[in-house]
Amino acid sequence: MNFDTLLVHYGELSTKGNNRKVFIQALTHNVRVALKGYEGLEIKGNRDFILVTLNGVDYAPVVSRLQEVSGIQRISLIKRCGKDIEEIKATAVELIKGEKGRTFKLESKRTDKTYPLDSYGISREVADAILDNTDLEVDVHNPDIVMHVSLRQEEATLSCHDFPGSGGYPLGMNGKVTMLLSGGIDSPVAAYSLIRRGLVVDCLHFASPPYTQLAVIDKLKDLLKVLNTYQNDIRLQIVPFTKIQEAIYAHVPEPYCITIMRRMMVRIAERVAKKNHCLAIATGESVGQVASQTLESIITINDVTNFPILRPLCVLDKVSIIETSKKIGTFDISIRPYEDCCTIFKPKKPKTKPRIDEAERYETLFDYEAMIEEAVNNLENIYISGGAEVEGRA
Amino acid sequence: MIYLDNAATVRVLDEVLEEHARINRDYFANAGSHHYFGYQAKNLLEEARTSILKDLKLEKTHKVMFNSGATEGNNTVLKGLALKYANRGKRILVGPTEHPSILTTANDVARLYGFEVVKLPVDESGRVTPEILSQYMDKQTLIVSIMAVNNETGAINDLKALSEVVKQYPKCFFHSDATQGIGKVDIDYSGVDLLTFSGHKIGAFKGSGALIYHNRIGFESLHSGGSQEGGFRAGTVDVPSCVCLAKALHLCFVNQKAWGEHVRELNNHLRDQLKDNPLISINSLPNDSPYVLNFSLTKHKASVVVEALSRLGIYVSSIAACSSKGEEPSYVLEAMGKPSWASHNPIRVSFNHETSLEEVDAFVNALEKILQEVRPL
Repeated sequence: MNFDTLLVHYGELSTKGNNRKVFIQALTHNVRVALKGYEGLEIKGNRDFILVTLNGVDYAPVVSRLQEVSGIQRISLIKRCGKDIEEIKATAVELIKGEKGRTFKLESKRTDKTYPLDSYGISREVADAILDNTDLEVDVHNPDIVMHVSLRQEEATLSCHDFPGSGGYPLGMNGKVTMLLSGGIDSPVAAYSLIRRGLVVDCLHFASPPYTQLAVIDKLKDLLKVLNTYQNDIRLQIVPFTKIQEAIYAHVPEPYCITIMRRMMVRIAERVAKKNHCLAIATGESVGQVASQTLESIITINDVTNFPILRPLCVLDKVSIIETSKKIGTFDISIRPYEDCCTIFKPKKPKTKPRIDEAERYETLFDYEAMIEEAVNNLENIYISGGAEVEGRA
Repeated sequence: MIYLDNAATVRVLDEVLEEHARINRDYFANAGSHHYFGYQAKNLLEEARTSILKDLKLEKTHKVMFNSGATEGNNTVLKGLALKYANRGKRILVGPTEHPSILTTANDVARLYGFEVVKLPVDESGRVTPEILSQYMDKQTLIVSIMAVNNETGAINDLKALSEVVKQYPKCFFHSDATQGIGKVDIDYSGVDLLTFSGHKIGAFKGSGALIYHNRIGFESLHSGGSQEGGFRAGTVDVPSCVCLAKALHLCFVNQKAWGEHVRELNNHLRDQLKDNPLISINSLPNDSPYVLNFSLTKHKASVVVEALSRLGIYVSSIAACSSKGEEPSYVLEAMGKPSWASHNPIRVSFNHETSLEEVDAFVNALEKILQEVRPL
């Protein structure tokens, strides 16, 4: 006899009050998408948990895949059986014979308060049966095996194995954001952090050919294929940015070029976000990391919009960002050596404390409105889904 | 597509591609097997060796060790000789413009086996002259390694004259990496003790190549195992690729004059188109290999221009594909004494016999347009 079902425990549901239904629907949907490739699984969500009936499928890869789905607190490998105490005892004995170890402990709980035995009574009965039928001994302090018995209204469940989930919120329940993706180490990590909090990311990249290489786009596609593990469908939009960037460098004093460039990017991102019904812009910025990421710079750049800009990495150390990028598998792609629009034309002395009035003054030197309009109207769409590029939106 | 990066690699010749399929299909036996099928494969292999030596006019004095290409060959030469003959002397002389597979390997030999490696100077044309070489020769010198034709500029070294200098030191070996010259430029190899080249530059396969060595020379083997390739390189020999290497090389020698003249015409034409453009400064000299024309951009960033050309389907090289990182200057141009702007922004155009005059013109038009449009740096 084997464990035959996975019980998926919800994540931060307790904090959600009225959103419970949205949470459960989103998570059940995401679990279905994540487990699409496994023939034979039965997935059923209810108020308290999702049950995944294995029907003979090996549980290990299914658990690994579920651990990548955000909004899951814990996954238990269980065996379901009837509520009759004799049936529970027999099942427990059979299951525990398949476990490795010399000592065990029982933990029982019942949500069915009408059940004739209380939790302690259940534990005692089942433990007695195990002692009578196996060589195992009880150790309540440091057991090799912990068996959980749970009495619900409709059935009993037994389990010996729990796996941690990734926590967070189910993807999609908190809306959609426009993520500025450069191709470096930070922005994919930022995207991952947002996805974990239930936000769908819609990506935007600024390309300045021929100053930036076509190979950068391939790199971005590869990054998104990795992020597909956490968000199965991702759109990438490419902004043709060459003309604007050339105009900036033709008109603006060198130290302010990066500041003005970022202001243009934010203006464009805001328009694209609104067009796509995104509720915020997000970036991989981390305070103080480079000249355009000092607080003074952020203030001056942010001044062009009152749209929210999320910066999930804003106070993280580079070391921990790199650690996460290695964990999620984007690091090796991010370090491919191609130039993006931020590294080309790099000013020798970028302004670290740019002023809003100065920036505004320099922006009067050329007509950027028309150029922004043109850029926003000429976005290129790329769709990455299930680890591959696809023709249109999935 | 307009492919002008033939010094990086070329398309496999059609005849060679067919030959590869034929040998793989009909003679797939292990050349080391002791049955008739195996002997047939071995015979093909031996015929390939003879063909290569005949084309190089070295059949009386030299042997062929098939390998994976010039990088492996250069490793075998420097490490294999250093390990075997360290008692004769521990000094290696190399040209400063050699391929990284010589320069890096020489540094490894210095670091690992306690050799002294000396980089010779070159004249402003990028050549090591016999006069320069003789100043640096001494009785401790075990290996002199000087390339036949430079991969970035096409500068041709006079191997015969250099070999005369080395000959005055009987213990010393003279090696030449002939990858960019073999089958393309008329070279007298008779004074060279060791010669390395790659198949993929002459229309054979990537991953094929050979080391040609004088029959009095031995090596410490870098690949131990079976007795293949004189015991110097163990591992089952890829007979089809070796046969194709010989076939491609032979086709190059047969057509060397005709192809060379065609390519010379292209090269001269391109030079004429570019020579008066103030945004361009030509580095290759008129008597360098016709297969390569190297020039520097005076105002623009080469990598940006290469990307702009690439988006039009025109493929040239900003620096040798083997060094890739992008921002570092060309050490070849630096060694020739070129100024910093020139060594940071070189473009290499390289032809083969299939390149047409129309393609060269299309390249020139695209380049001129890009230089007007792209912002100087």
